[in-house]
Amino acid sequence: MKVGDTLGNYHVHAKLGEGGMGAVFRARDEVLHRDVAIKVLSSRTIADKPAKELLLHEARAACALSHPNICMIHQVGETGGELYIVMELIAGKPLSALIGKDGLPVESVLRYGVQIAGALTHSHSRNVIHRDLKSPNVMVTPEGLVKVLDFGLARRIRKEVVPETARTLDSLRATSETTMESTGGLTGTIPYMAPELLKGQQSDQRADIWALGVVLYEAASGKLPFLGQTVLETSGAILHQLPPPLPSWVPNSLWAIVQRCLSKDPQQRYQRAGEVQAALEAVQSASVAGATTTSAPAGPATVVERGMRHISLKDGDVLLLVGTMKGAFLVRSNARRASWEVIGPAFHGQAVYTLAYDGRKGRHRLWASTSSYWGTFLRSSDDFGRTWTNPHQANVKFPAECGVSLKNIWQLCLGREGEPDTMYCGVEPAALFVSHDAGESWALVRGLFDHPHRPRWVPGNGGLCLHTIVLDPVNRERMYIAISSGGVYRTEDGGATWQARNQGIRVRHEPERYPEFGQCVHKLVLHPARPERLFLQHHWGVYRSDDHGDTWQGISNGLPSDFGFAMTTHPRDSECVYLLPIESDEFRCTPEGRLRVYRTRNAGASWEPLARGLPQKGAYETVLRDAMSTDGLNPAGIYFGTRSGELFGSVDEGKSWKLIVGGLPPVVCVKTVVVGAPASSAKIKAEANNLGKKGSSGKKRGKR
Amino acid sequence: MGKREAPAKSEANASVAITVYIPGPLRPFSGGRPQVELKNSPATLRDALDELWKEYPGIRDRVVTEEGRLREHINIFVGKENVRYTGDFATRLGPGAEISILPAVSGG
Repeated sequence: MKVGDTLGNYHVHAKLGEGGMGAVFRARDEVLHRDVAIKVLSSRTIADKPAKELLLHEARAACALSHPNICMIHQVGETGGELYIVMELIAGKPLSALIGKDGLPVESVLRYGVQIAGALTHSHSRNVIHRDLKSPNVMVTPEGLVKVLDFGLARRIRKEVVPETARTLDSLRATSETTMESTGGLTGTIPYMAPELLKGQQSDQRADIWALGVVLYEAASGKLPFLGQTVLETSGAILHQLPPPLPSWVPNSLWAIVQRCLSKDPQQRYQRAGEVQAALEAVQSASVAGATTTSAPAGPATVVERGMRHISLKDGDVLLLVGTMKGAFLVRSNARRASWEVIGPAFHGQAVYTLAYDGRKGRHRLWASTSSYWGTFLRSSDDFGRTWTNPHQANVKFPAECGVSLKNIWQLCLGREGEPDTMYCGVEPAALFVSHDAGESWALVRGLFDHPHRPRWVPGNGGLCLHTIVLDPVNRERMYIAISSGGVYRTEDGGATWQARNQGIRVRHEPERYPEFGQCVHKLVLHPARPERLFLQHHWGVYRSDDHGDTWQGISNGLPSDFGFAMTTHPRDSECVYLLPIESDEFRCTPEGRLRVYRTRNAGASWEPLARGLPQKGAYETVLRDAMSTDGLNPAGIYFGTRSGELFGSVDEGKSWKLIVGGLPPVVCVKTVVVGAPASSAKIKAEANNLGKKGSSGKKRGKR
Repeated sequence: MGKREAPAKSEANASVAITVYIPGPLRPFSGGRPQVELKNSPATLRDALDELWKEYPGIRDRVVTEEGRLREHINIFVGKENVRYTGDFATRLGPGAEISILPAVSGG
């Protein structure tokens, strides 16, 4: 191609430059009346036909990118044996030409960095990885707008110029005397290459995040973080050395972001470009708010930490979320539930009292509360536990004027169908918090916190905790909570006011046997197909209410003990409840050393033991209040975990049981997820309707 | 991630700089640094922690409760003294003081 040529609609006006990949021309689109750039790839760059076709394929993928910070590719094609790419013509300078010997002002680093990270976020979301991000590939217009060039083109081109093996450290070592200048196509690229690329390992979008870290470092200091006299020296620095400190005028918060991008282990880096963008924006907004650049403004709202190894899940898989005193485990099976895979622990050494799965609005988000010396935090994962957020500031906090501090988060509860961004959590000291933005921010429910009974609630053995939250699936204004020891409270006005609902529940710890409140309720469950009916495990007795908790009747007859914690409803049969009796207040173990689940199929008129497959000798076990759940499938799976770390399951509604895994830390909670839940939810709903019951059971999805 | 070297400073400043040692679980919130030097010259532990929170906001809620009290199972030492015995947050800091944040042996 030469000046004066016409290529389809394009008339070539001038040659703008020539580089390793080929020449760049300025041309005029005579149809759309706009100027464009045409990059012609030299035949040296693309040697054979398969390589050309692969390049065309990737260029087409890059054509699909449309983002203000990505140089738009209009067309790719071949003419006279040469490949060409028609792209947006950008008036500006490469970032590499703007960076002086001491770098750019911090404000500019942040402004450009946010835009580059935004471009990567967009491309990664469309599975296009840049693979050759570097400051010469970042154009900056006179208005300060960043345009990243050559998306998705680099890999194929580079592969043709330099065989893949030539990029590994071994081969570089073999050419250790080679200088940077003599390596042709590698010049200017190696200092931006991630360690995993140099090792010849599989790479992904996190190699772009590394390169972004190099660009940010370079922009902030005017120097590359890893640079030697030879290719080998540079590669060795990338693999083994820490980047030298940035100059003192660079705020620590920016330095922290750069360091994270430049973690040798991809798992330790930001996992998504959007996280880098958010982190840079947080520094930027803090700077704008008046902090000087040296006084380290607020950092990102969360850091993201490595969780557990990756598991692949498909719709219909069953996932048990198991919280223990020393971390969280995920236990996966397919819909047949014949064999189980155990992954974990995440949150090594921390108590995980509650877990939840939010599959609403297309999310696949796990939630966990973690508790340690260092406080209690809600953490989330959008990749099934591979990475977890770790927020800078506690997300659930009592307002300062309350005079109390959060001790633990005992329960997470998702809003009803039609409330896809609502979540509740129950905490210790006993209080309820609500979020209306899917867990981003939380507010104390003052109607309950300011209740006149609150000063007279007393801690149970586990502390003064609000451990159970039950939503009426039909009446959006009605919900129940249970406090140990405070009893059951119900609201009929969406949480503004609360009434104690404990009539008929007998206590033994005070002279008044039927007090208005103060009961030590261990667990409360409701069947969504019959929302007026509730079942309750009290410190002394099992109860049922058929009138929304207004009155309670004892249903302990036929049980070996009226003490216990765990309880769950059958997913479809509103007469059916499972529980696990414990011998007594004093001896908190399964009666007679026999581990037995008890089931009623007539709403508590009679009970039957379900013990096949469970240890019946010397099994002095305890199953805690949140450590039993059902999966909603047909036949229903029932699962429970013990304080001795054994997880049992039944996939035939309790007829027989199997040990799924033993040797876990003490199990605190077991929750069940059916992946791709809307289908199973709809199925449950249809079956519930077939039973002629009112209401929806969709809320069972992802929860006990 | 390695420790960031302190910016160049005069000998006089070097002798009074106050250092905070960051325990491993909090280093995700200190940019990976095991220790940080405070830029100002806080007179009390409270001033030092305020400066630390400002610089590294993720550390605060892990060390103190929302009521501003030191968490039950966390100890802060100035030099070798546990500040619970030296005036808590009002503990005075001498030149070159070294502040350590450490989990207690209690708990489990």
